[in-house]
Amino acid sequence: MLKHLFRTLVETWEVLANEVRRVFLDKTTVVIFFLATAVYPPLYYYIYHREVLQEMPVAVVELSRGENSKRFIHKLDATPELAVAYRCATLAEGEELINRHQARAVYIIPADYDDRLARGETARITCFSDISSFLYYKNAMFGGSVVMLDEMHTIEMAHHTDAGLDHHSARIQVQPIEVEDVKLYNPSGGYASYFIPALLLLVIHQTLFFGICVLCGDASERHRSLQVIPTHLGSFRSIRIVTLGRLLCFLLIYIPIALFDLWILPRIFGLPQLGSAIDICLLLLPFLLATICFSMTIGNLFSQQRMSTLLCCLFFSVILFFLSGLVWPQPNMPRFWLAASYLFPSTPGIQGYVRIASMGATLAEVRHEYLALWLQTGFYFLTANISLYFIRKFKPQTDH
Amino acid sequence: MKRVFYRELRRIRRKPRYTIILTVGIALSFIFFATMTSEGQPQELPVAVVDLDGSYLSRRLCHEINATQAVNVVAVYGSHGEARSAMQQGKIFAFYEIPNGTYNEVLQFHAPKIVLYTNQSYLLAGSLCYKQLTTIGKLAGGAVQREVLRKKGVDEDQIMGRIQPIALDTHPIGNSKGSYHLYLLTILVPGIIILMAMLQTAYVIGRERQEETLRGLMRVARGNALHALVGKMLPYTMYYTLLMLLCSLIMFGPMHLPMEGSWPLLMLLSLLSVVAAQCAGCFLMGCVPDPSVAMSLTSAYGTLAFTMCGFSFPVDAMPLPMQTFSLLFPLRYYFLAMRDITLFGNGIGYIWPQLCSLLLFPLLLLIGAAMLRRQYERRPQC
Repeated sequence: MLKHLFRTLVETWEVLANEVRRVFLDKTTVVIFFLATAVYPPLYYYIYHREVLQEMPVAVVELSRGENSKRFIHKLDATPELAVAYRCATLAEGEELINRHQARAVYIIPADYDDRLARGETARITCFSDISSFLYYKNAMFGGSVVMLDEMHTIEMAHHTDAGLDHHSARIQVQPIEVEDVKLYNPSGGYASYFIPALLLLVIHQTLFFGICVLCGDASERHRSLQVIPTHLGSFRSIRIVTLGRLLCFLLIYIPIALFDLWILPRIFGLPQLGSAIDICLLLLPFLLATICFSMTIGNLFSQQRMSTLLCCLFFSVILFFLSGLVWPQPNMPRFWLAASYLFPSTPGIQGYVRIASMGATLAEVRHEYLALWLQTGFYFLTANISLYFIRKFKPQTDH
Repeated sequence: MKRVFYRELRRIRRKPRYTIILTVGIALSFIFFATMTSEGQPQELPVAVVDLDGSYLSRRLCHEINATQAVNVVAVYGSHGEARSAMQQGKIFAFYEIPNGTYNEVLQFHAPKIVLYTNQSYLLAGSLCYKQLTTIGKLAGGAVQREVLRKKGVDEDQIMGRIQPIALDTHPIGNSKGSYHLYLLTILVPGIIILMAMLQTAYVIGRERQEETLRGLMRVARGNALHALVGKMLPYTMYYTLLMLLCSLIMFGPMHLPMEGSWPLLMLLSLLSVVAAQCAGCFLMGCVPDPSVAMSLTSAYGTLAFTMCGFSFPVDAMPLPMQTFSLLFPLRYYFLAMRDITLFGNGIGYIWPQLCSLLLFPLLLLIGAAMLRRQYERRPQC
């Protein structure tokens, strides 16, 4: 019994050592595993590190030039979101500015603006906004509505104090219920704090996937037995050992990479880190295992050439990000896509990591995702074995 | 060049696998993005109320939240902790907390405070909830104000002017409902096609080098590396431009996405973008000696293109070096010009800078050809 166990260990070690050698001798996998994981996250952080769009240039068409409209424009300019870069006298001017993209939004203050306010009627301001990026629209809308609410407050207060109320009573009249808003987890609504945690997980997922597929394709291309199975091993046992050995090899390589990407980098970037380190590590283990087994399955089955899977990297990466539920909320996904999203370890991985790291959830609060990752690990470990078995059975091969 | 073109067609016919897989991949992504976001904007987002007051006011707030399309109250919790935990489990995106005694304070004119918590880790869901729920909060205040004014005998016409002296209507140009469907589909699908054209061109050149058939290729091209490259690119240029046309026809035809500008201009833009991307692929393939490392770099460059075209996070908000870096991506020019044509209905007078920039990319082909030639001369036996 002990001897058997020892033999298994030695054989697994052989496979592991052989796989490590293959990884380090292959230029492409070194680039994917070590360069991509080190370059992508800092690059993306650098791209997004300003978090929000500030002082977006806008134009104002001033058809009314009273005291109230001047104050409105002044307040628009004072918001962090907007900067009034152009003041136009005609609609045509404003239109041209927005068509040329010199202004991202144009606010039109109608000719009767001040008159209507003086008469105590509702005055309407119209805003046309560029929506080629949603952030332009968001800035135009939020900046505009902050100013609108503030102006409303000022005007209403004036009404009430003119009617003889003191400041305190006027305030209560204007605002009988106060609404305080608290933006949790990402107070500035910033892009880096939102995108980078998910990106870190996705980078680990995708580099593992493509690296393993390149290795599988390489073996298939050279008509070798896929993972160089020691010939003296029995068929079924050998397959289990080969899968296990490779799994351990990639796990060993990725533990330091994952620690670098998920532990050191977020601290350097100053991203919110609310969760406990133990919870993150506990989540990472099944994530790495599931990803490796998933990649080995796909690699065994579909990767015939070194470069072929890289062709799919584009739509695969973009679609996985959308499937993770971070962009389009999970409750709003069509059922079919929601179910499909759980085929990939990236979905529960990203959901779990973002909730633990950015939102301070405990492992118990992400138990569904955690369970899903372990289920995926079990399932893909099986499929990795089965696919290897079939490949060995049906593909001609020459062991070197 | 013609002979290289026919040779490439024969190669495709012999091994149509990748072209088929990529076409299926593009079709699947089209279906994916079209069905995923078909609501336009997320509707009925789950939110909650922490009701510590248990009054008429809190019930009315729930009622008003449920009356809107964007959000939906899925639970009423008895404590802050429960709601916070539900948020961390991903069950809700926002919650209102109504402290004990709020309604009484309203009646006594003490201006109580209610608190709105939104989850900004999910940027889209969080900001939609924020927008909707703050409006409802303000309206709740407005309802109280209206009662007071009515009791004071202010007539109905004037009440509106008193409660809401200013109204702001925001109209997004070309996408009046702020639909994500239109926003994502019109850039992501053409983007995927353009980048696929680049990747496949790079891939077939890489295969020639890997299979060591470069010599055969150069012989067919009579030793002219530029002819060899152009001949190899051409079948894919035609195929992917055709796919672009087909996608645009489906999007702006039966799917009724808005298209304000001219069709020929959009087609010209599509053709130029496909060619520019292919040239970038040839260049990378020529410059990096190891074909599969080159392929990894090309796909990394391709994936980065979606970020650098600035459709999600605008390029003006990126640091200056990155703004310059974005000039190296054909997809950036496609995005800028496509937006002008479809959303703004602008003509060539507005988008000529982008078209001219795309025309510069074929210069990269010359460098790629020179590199290919050098590799061939160094190892003519292959």
